[in-house]
Amino acid sequence: MSADLAAASTHGNLDEQIAQLMQCKPLSEPEVRALCEKAKEILMDESNVQPVKSPVTICGDIHGQFHDLAELFRIGGKCPDTNYLFMGDYVDRGYYSVETVTLLVALKVRYPQRITILRGNHESRQITQVYGFYDECLRKYGNASVWKIFTDLFDYFPLTALVESEIFCLHGGLSPSIETLDNIRNFDRVQEVPHEGPMCDLLWSDPDDRCGWGISPRGAGYTFGQDISEQFNHTNNLKLIARAHQLVMEGYNWAHEQKVVTIFSAPNYCYRCGNMASILEVDDCREHTFIQFEPAPRRGEPDVTRRTPDYFL
Amino acid sequence: MVDEPLYPIAVLIDELKNDDIQLRLNSIRRLSTIARALWEERTRKELIPFLSENNDDDDEVLLAMAEELGVFIPYVGGVEHAHVLLPPLETLCTVEETCVRDKAVESLCRIGSQMRESDLVDSFIPLVKRLAAGEWFTARVSACGLFHIAYPSATDLLKTELRSIYSQLCQDDMPMVRRAAATNLGKFAATVEAANLKADIMSMFEDLTQDDQDSVRLLAVEGCAALGKLLEPQDCVAHILPVIVNFSQDKSWRVRYMVANQLYELCEAVGPEPTRTDLVPAYVRLLRDNEAEVRIAAAGKVTKFCRILNPELAIQHILPCVKELSSDSSQHVRSALASVIMGMAPVLGKDATIEQLLPIFLSLLKDEFPDVRLNIISKLDQVNQVIGIDLLSQSLLPAIVELAEDRHWRVRLAIIEYIPLLASQLGVGFFDDKLGALCMQWLQDKVYSIRDAAANNLKRLAEEFGPEWAMQHIVPQVLDMVTNPHYLYRMTVLQAISLLAPVMGSEITCSKLLPVIVTASKDRVPNIKFNVAKVVEKTIRPSLVELSEDADVDVRFFANQALQSIDNVMMSS
Repeated sequence: MSADLAAASTHGNLDEQIAQLMQCKPLSEPEVRALCEKAKEILMDESNVQPVKSPVTICGDIHGQFHDLAELFRIGGKCPDTNYLFMGDYVDRGYYSVETVTLLVALKVRYPQRITILRGNHESRQITQVYGFYDECLRKYGNASVWKIFTDLFDYFPLTALVESEIFCLHGGLSPSIETLDNIRNFDRVQEVPHEGPMCDLLWSDPDDRCGWGISPRGAGYTFGQDISEQFNHTNNLKLIARAHQLVMEGYNWAHEQKVVTIFSAPNYCYRCGNMASILEVDDCREHTFIQFEPAPRRGEPDVTRRTPDYFL
Repeated sequence: MVDEPLYPIAVLIDELKNDDIQLRLNSIRRLSTIARALWEERTRKELIPFLSENNDDDDEVLLAMAEELGVFIPYVGGVEHAHVLLPPLETLCTVEETCVRDKAVESLCRIGSQMRESDLVDSFIPLVKRLAAGEWFTARVSACGLFHIAYPSATDLLKTELRSIYSQLCQDDMPMVRRAAATNLGKFAATVEAANLKADIMSMFEDLTQDDQDSVRLLAVEGCAALGKLLEPQDCVAHILPVIVNFSQDKSWRVRYMVANQLYELCEAVGPEPTRTDLVPAYVRLLRDNEAEVRIAAAGKVTKFCRILNPELAIQHILPCVKELSSDSSQHVRSALASVIMGMAPVLGKDATIEQLLPIFLSLLKDEFPDVRLNIISKLDQVNQVIGIDLLSQSLLPAIVELAEDRHWRVRLAIIEYIPLLASQLGVGFFDDKLGALCMQWLQDKVYSIRDAAANNLKRLAEEFGPEWAMQHIVPQVLDMVTNPHYLYRMTVLQAISLLAPVMGSEITCSKLLPVIVTASKDRVPNIKFNVAKVVEKTIRPSLVELSEDADVDVRFFANQALQSIDNVMMSS
């Protein structure tokens, strides 16, 4: 009890930081460093297959679209009142990767039992140098140390989660070198995402209409057919594989006769794809509800350009 | 500022020349610190010349330099030495990057407006003339922004020269220069004497309005309102009005767009009669323009325009166009119209609103584009005052009920937020039908923000109609929902309870609400349990505090005892 109250006093600072981040204002470099230090301690105790209790709301890619993450909380409810499970890809592409990932990590540190954050293929040193997070850190902090702090932390993010022993959640998909969940539990995840092998596949693979394993057009991971999903779910006593990683126009998409579902939570992805986003509510009776949503209206940013910008003159 | 001593001056000066742009930028940002350390004389004789020579840097560094120099007068020894700051800024006025030039011009204006008149004549005006005669267009663009500072202190002879230079800039070969001249004409004109205004400035203005580049003409349109305010009404009618009427039929839609945005400002400058004969027809043309962008701009100004006209003119000429626009093929036109049209009701008065506007509101409320519906709903209260709530509820209520289940949650939210106002104006009677059910239905909306707003709405209804009414029409229905299988919906019930409790009073809180809270404390979901803790803190404690101030001594005693034991538990652990 006294330990709990002692914790309460240190939360004050963190609560302020969360409130600041909710306004899309980034933390200072020393604050990020201290936050990630605490996050590392929490995340290193989590399993490669992190058990999660229902009820929980499962979400897909965010990709730095901070205002749409805020919309997601307006739709799904605030953390900690609503429990959340995010399946990776917080950074790159959008304009606010720094604010987005800092907020999610801060929530994880403040409410470790209420939110789970998995690793996506973009939570990696290599990918973030190409798709925006590195440049954004440089622009917002003037140097690369915040990028280094976060990418070092990404190594500790759990790879997969298991909701009530029946919904297997991960960013990408299955791997030919993984048959059971225990296979996953046994390897050392604290490293940069490798170019091949089981850890890479979990973050890169996609379901496919064709049976069996296929070569992925992405150049990493595999494609897997319905036979593979059925076998995996049967072996591991699973009802469903929930994953993200692919843009789907309705925000969610069933595959493999409802053995696999793709959830994507970045509406109008890259500010131009015109897709809906969605989240999946698994309630305390384990009923599933998908909620779709559209991009948040941007203040001062009209949805179409009404005037030709000056550089066209 | 506190950590300045930690940053040795020598290092800062050294880093002005560092290879790393971040370090140079850092040094430039602390230029005032360096200057203070060097003292005024060395700043004038060493630092400023050094900066003048080192202007071949990255744009970011130059931008910072241009900005810092603008506030540098105190560091060079006050206004009598201000002129030493001109050379580095003059160079910055000629660089390629627009932001740097704009900032340098801004800083020059700031410095010039503080300089002594004689210094302006000796150094500032020659600088303007040099820039205006610059070989590269960037210098000439920058020059245009400096005339309004230079002109007032010039001698008559110099003034004539400056006007003639500006006139040349208005006819420059480069459109960029003519655009800068058009942009700054209004500011310059404000410093020119009335006689010269009519002669010289107006002829420059006419040149610009006939420019073959639409980008120049549209900047000239922007100048119309500014110039119009400087002229006597009859001159305005003679010189500005024909130009505006021409512009409203310009072949470039972007010029017409600009006119559509600015037209209402001109009505004041020219007076009522020319407005009626010339500007109203011009505006009507813009409302019916072929280009949607122009109609968007015109539609968005319809209320402002009508406020200037007398109601008769508005009804006769503008209203028919508004009717057309309400079924425009472009959703953005309809949306722009919907965002301002409610404001027309007070202008047109009750009869015209009922006969003509109300049908338009109704059709916009049913628009297929959610923004249009949202814009109407969020401003319904402006109409209440004009036509009265009874009529409004008769004609709009069916549409509102329909929108309560709109697919877009922000439309539903706008409706919920409108309910308390409706309730306060319509009274209890109106709640015994479908709207009561809707208020409950919103508590179980899929979207959290709607559930949250629904809980707040119940509180406001309870405040409006009193606890007795709430006890009949709200509380039992809310409490029924506490067994909902979905934890988020049970949480909404808790939220509603915590909001209702203070309104309902301690008796109902204890007899009806508390048992539900106690049951919820045994919920299977932790999120519900910690929300119970929050609700208890919010509801029980106020009840105890209330009891601790009771008239009866024993009530006070036991209430205080309970309060103390709660507080002790908090303290001891």
